[in-house]
Amino acid sequence: MSVVATTGLTRRFGPVTALDRLTVELPVAGVSGLVGPNGSGKSTLIRILLGLIRPTAGGASVLGSPVASPAAYASRVGVLVESPAFLPGLSARANLVSLAHLRRLPLDRVDAVLAQVGLVGRDREPVRRFSLGMKQRLGIAAALLSDPELLILDEPTNGLDPAGIVEIRELLRDLGRNGRTVIVSSHQLSEIEAVCDFLMVIRFGELIFAGPMTEVMKRTREHIDIASEHPADMGRLEAGLVAGGWSVSAVDDVLRVAAAAARAADLNRAATAVGVTLSRLVVAQDSLEEIFLEMTGRVDGELANGRTATDGTVAS
Amino acid sequence: MIPAIRSELTRLRQPRLLITWFALMALFAAMVNTIMVSFVSGGGSLPPGAPGVAFPTRAGLESASGLMAGLAAAANMFGVVTLSFWAVATASDYSSGLIRLLVAAEPRRWRLLAGKVAALLVVTAAATTVAAVVNVFAVFPAAGAAGISTAAWGTDLVTVVATAWLNLFLALCAWGVLGLVIAVLTRSAAVSISIGVGYLLVVESLIKMVKDAPSDWLLGTTLSSVASGGTAAVSYGTALALALAYVTLGLVLAGVVFVRRDVTD
Repeated sequence: MSVVATTGLTRRFGPVTALDRLTVELPVAGVSGLVGPNGSGKSTLIRILLGLIRPTAGGASVLGSPVASPAAYASRVGVLVESPAFLPGLSARANLVSLAHLRRLPLDRVDAVLAQVGLVGRDREPVRRFSLGMKQRLGIAAALLSDPELLILDEPTNGLDPAGIVEIRELLRDLGRNGRTVIVSSHQLSEIEAVCDFLMVIRFGELIFAGPMTEVMKRTREHIDIASEHPADMGRLEAGLVAGGWSVSAVDDVLRVAAAAARAADLNRAATAVGVTLSRLVVAQDSLEEIFLEMTGRVDGELANGRTATDGTVAS
Repeated sequence: MIPAIRSELTRLRQPRLLITWFALMALFAAMVNTIMVSFVSGGGSLPPGAPGVAFPTRAGLESASGLMAGLAAAANMFGVVTLSFWAVATASDYSSGLIRLLVAAEPRRWRLLAGKVAALLVVTAAATTVAAVVNVFAVFPAAGAAGISTAAWGTDLVTVVATAWLNLFLALCAWGVLGLVIAVLTRSAAVSISIGVGYLLVVESLIKMVKDAPSDWLLGTTLSSVASGGTAAVSYGTALALALAYVTLGLVLAGVVFVRRDVTD
């Protein structure tokens, strides 16, 4: 069973196609990651799921109800869309009380979520005095207010300090383990890798990948990062390895060689053969970031706006 | 709809917003009463098309209803203040991005809009009361200083005060709805206030100054007539009917746009 299902979901803004015939299903329970370059259509998808905007074509359902009737599932969904949105002149508590009234919730839920995100003691201060991190915590509190079955969080750790990031990641994992479904949209791929069980990648409004995180990580390959004792030798080392048939790319201050750990000794010998002594040789796995860049290409999505998609529309 | 009203009332409890709104109502009530009494006692007359004020005659001011004449005289000024605050309360949902959370929590958008209107009516009633109270406290010393007779002002006091309050409240509701409609359309408080004030101070005044221009149906004139309980040019019933038509038209327009438009803020 899927918590979110879309079929041929398309949304155009004038000449721009933000979502292009997107068909995907996200599983119930656990944490699903939604990733894609800037302008890939992530926010458009979230807004359609929440009933904020309507699709141009195709359909979608959330918790079994069509997005054309968001009232059927709104009470079971908690959201943090883009940046946390509150009235700055009101206290954190008053902002949450206002939402609790709207959702017909008992006011003890306000105390519960304030405690859950660690804002007890600061809740009577106007939101205008809050740091970005505190606003983010308040945004997550608002999303948790209705104790929802489905949480949709856009960049949930944006602005948090390292301890706050760890805390919120743990909270998301707990929610997923306890039968809730959490959809996290994020640019921080380390965050997606750390908390998600399922991954969905979109680019130019099209689905690139949807599947369990374990399947994504199967795509990882071993590589060996090497560096010469003298930086001036790096060019000679790279040329010698390429001539020897190794697949080499320069990454920061090392050469990344696509090779399994078992070939480390061969690689060391090859370096010696071109007269270079290695000061570093580290075997590692590709990160999600590298897999993501391989899937989506190394182009900033927004800078690529205006690029013509396969069906002749202009992707956003 | 009750949850939407309670939610909106909580959001309206912003100290700066309410203090500014009520302070401006009090300021205009005090200011207009002082100027009005001084102006009437000096036998002055306003030029045609003077924006925002309609002073009574000396006889009118010294009659029983003269006690509350300041409310009607400044009705359009109060109206602009009310328009501005309805616009701010509406547009801030867009500028803060709160509209995303509100619509996600209550997708039946007409309920959100109706809740906002109902909550703003409650605060407008409070603002009208502030203006009425300050009016009473301001007009007595002003009349005493200007030699205006106050002998008739205690006659039928409750009816006079209640009628003046109700007429001003009705007019302010219409002004407020106008602010809300412009704010829903433009999603900007600054633009909404500029359009509202610009219309009253520039457009309507210019139309009134054009000789033989039919101006009795204009919004400011109509709502001023409602606040005054009718004028020689426009009866109370006609003014009320016109105001109701403006309000209905505005609410339908705002409702259709609010319900159908994508939330992209």
